[in-house]
Amino acid sequence: MAAPEVHHLFNHPIADHSFSADRQTLAVARDNNIELYQRDGGKFQLKDELTGHDKSVTGVDIAPNSGKIVTCSQDRNAYVWEPSPQGWKPTLVLLRINRAATCVRWAPSETKFAVGSGARLIPVCYFEEEDNWWVSKHLKKPIRSTITTVAWHPNSVLLAAGSTDGHARVFSSFIKGVDARPEASPWGERLPFNTVCGEFLNNTAGWIHSVAFSPSGNALAFAGHDSSITVVYPAGADQPPSAVISLSTQLLPFMDLVWSSESEIIAAGYNCEAYRFQGSEQGWEIAGSLETKGRPGLQDQREESAFNMFKQMDLKGKTTDDTKLKTVHQNTISTIRSFEESGSGVSKISSTGVDGRVVIWTL
Amino acid sequence: MATLNWRTINIDALDPESPANFDLSTLTPAVAPVSTADVQALAGQIRQLLRGGDSEGALQGALENPPYGADERGKDVHLATIIEILQSIRQADMSPMLGRLYKAPGGTEALDVLMKYIYKGMAHTSAPSTATKITPQPTGFSQVHSSRSGEGGGQAMSVLLSWHEKLVEIAGPGCIVRVMTDRRTV
Amino acid sequence: MSQSLRPYLQCVRSSLTAALSLSNFASQASERHNVPEIEAASCPEVLLNPLTVSRNENEKVFIEPSINSVRISIRIKQADEIEHILVHKFTRFLTQRAEAFFILRRKPVKGYDISFLITNFHTEEMLKHKLVDFIIQFMEEVDKEISEMKLFLNARARFVAESFLTPFD
Repeated sequence: MAAPEVHHLFNHPIADHSFSADRQTLAVARDNNIELYQRDGGKFQLKDELTGHDKSVTGVDIAPNSGKIVTCSQDRNAYVWEPSPQGWKPTLVLLRINRAATCVRWAPSETKFAVGSGARLIPVCYFEEEDNWWVSKHLKKPIRSTITTVAWHPNSVLLAAGSTDGHARVFSSFIKGVDARPEASPWGERLPFNTVCGEFLNNTAGWIHSVAFSPSGNALAFAGHDSSITVVYPAGADQPPSAVISLSTQLLPFMDLVWSSESEIIAAGYNCEAYRFQGSEQGWEIAGSLETKGRPGLQDQREESAFNMFKQMDLKGKTTDDTKLKTVHQNTISTIRSFEESGSGVSKISSTGVDGRVVIWTL
Repeated sequence: MATLNWRTINIDALDPESPANFDLSTLTPAVAPVSTADVQALAGQIRQLLRGGDSEGALQGALENPPYGADERGKDVHLATIIEILQSIRQADMSPMLGRLYKAPGGTEALDVLMKYIYKGMAHTSAPSTATKITPQPTGFSQVHSSRSGEGGGQAMSVLLSWHEKLVEIAGPGCIVRVMTDRRTV
Repeated sequence: MSQSLRPYLQCVRSSLTAALSLSNFASQASERHNVPEIEAASCPEVLLNPLTVSRNENEKVFIEPSINSVRISIRIKQADEIEHILVHKFTRFLTQRAEAFFILRRKPVKGYDISFLITNFHTEEMLKHKLVDFIIQFMEEVDKEISEMKLFLNARARFVAESFLTPFD
């Protein structure tokens, strides 16, 4: 496994990050602004800053084809930023929510995006040509608490959402005029707006931190605060799912997960490192961490020479320096996204965390 | 009209749509109601296993059927049973037994239940005596401790603490997180 | 007695590490607000089951977790009236300077002597394992300090009494 590429941008938490399609531009949410970094050789240089939000930005997403950036924040607003010769031009999105927005993702078709919010509803936004702005339709029932995460199905109609009421739900967000009729899938056939195609709950019912559809869309995985990962395989429109596999781990909870192939999931969270899970409809298992223990940089630091020991005692009154964690990330990992895909699935993933680092891992 | 102070009405509690009125029962999967008599019957069976020397079987039996649906007394009875089992197992046997329980099917669930009981045991054995037993002494010298019950309680605590340590070694912090998030309380 | 101290602190350490899994959560009840949910307690689903770790009836730690904050309350061993007063003065000294402490709560929870409130902003700025180390160290030190204070107090009282009564001998 190649060594991970670490970029320590700053010492503040990164709420969300997104790469452009060519992976040369990186958008990072930092406090109330979004910083855009341009790849310059092996490092990322700060190129631009998108200001406009009053409160902390909670979600950033760059659409791969059109290059538009959508951002949402705790000030109940979302903006769509379009590149122009004078810089980035923001367009306010009419979300019509009265609480904070928590996350935002473009649909694969890039004609709409979904925003999770604390107002216990999901505005699905699309561009209205006549009025020249983004309007939203709300997915409301049966959500009972803050939506923490959203994820799109490859057909751009089905939307999975995880919430602090412990349920992971799959909705249909079909909008007439914007979406083409989706093909039949194990999730259902006739899907008007706000149909609930499935509602899943763990036995230990922790808040859902992350949901994701598998690359084909035929399975759904969600990570909950009870340190577990659950994978659901649906059977059809009104039938119970063919398999719901819940895997409780011994580790601290996971904040985000991503499918690297139909049979592998990478999840990361409060343990500050990423773990692999492998399995299928018959069962899932944890397959170890992405980090190898013998990294060259780390070995020098742990050299316990007598000189170092006395130096530490003199400086800090202690014999060992235990402020640095052994993992690459020094604090919770909050987001992982797929970075590079090859024939057999995802080959590289990028992760950001509360410590301000962006790390690109090779699988 | 004058008796009701309109300003002190908690409007959020009355509004069914308000986030304050979240129905926590939606978070727990349905639990079957269990009567206290059933719990006591189970406790009797487990004590028999204990007396027969099969502490592992007793522990397994107790952990597989936690009375989530019972009322307060039933839950207390089950807690007392489990503390009795835990106190009867020797220090050296703890880790191997936990390892075997963990590997058995349904092991993670069983260990989660055990962790819940350890925390409940620590909460309960300290609750009855929150009132301070200090009588004001003008001289300020320490009182002579003579409480026998305090001794017994302290022993149960150290047993629970050593079980907790061994359990965390095997089941990890994930077990503690599940105790916190699981709304089905024992 | 010191035998059970190590497993007690180990238990508190692992419970705290598990409870300190906090994330930024904007309030559901008020717009544009971000409050520690354990203090606001406006929505029951974001609060978790509280944990108690106790060594005996007089010493325990009460951990109340939620989605973006944790409240840790410690009950310090007070064997007699004098220790009661000393603990009260010691915690008062600390709580009056709570702003400099960041994680200290000005009023302890009822039934306990001192309380800490750790929010997600604290875990973002500071390392979680060092926060846990700090709390454990605090618990170890406070017992030592109280006994030390009591010894000094008794020594001074004896000296004063002696010197006062010597002329009357």
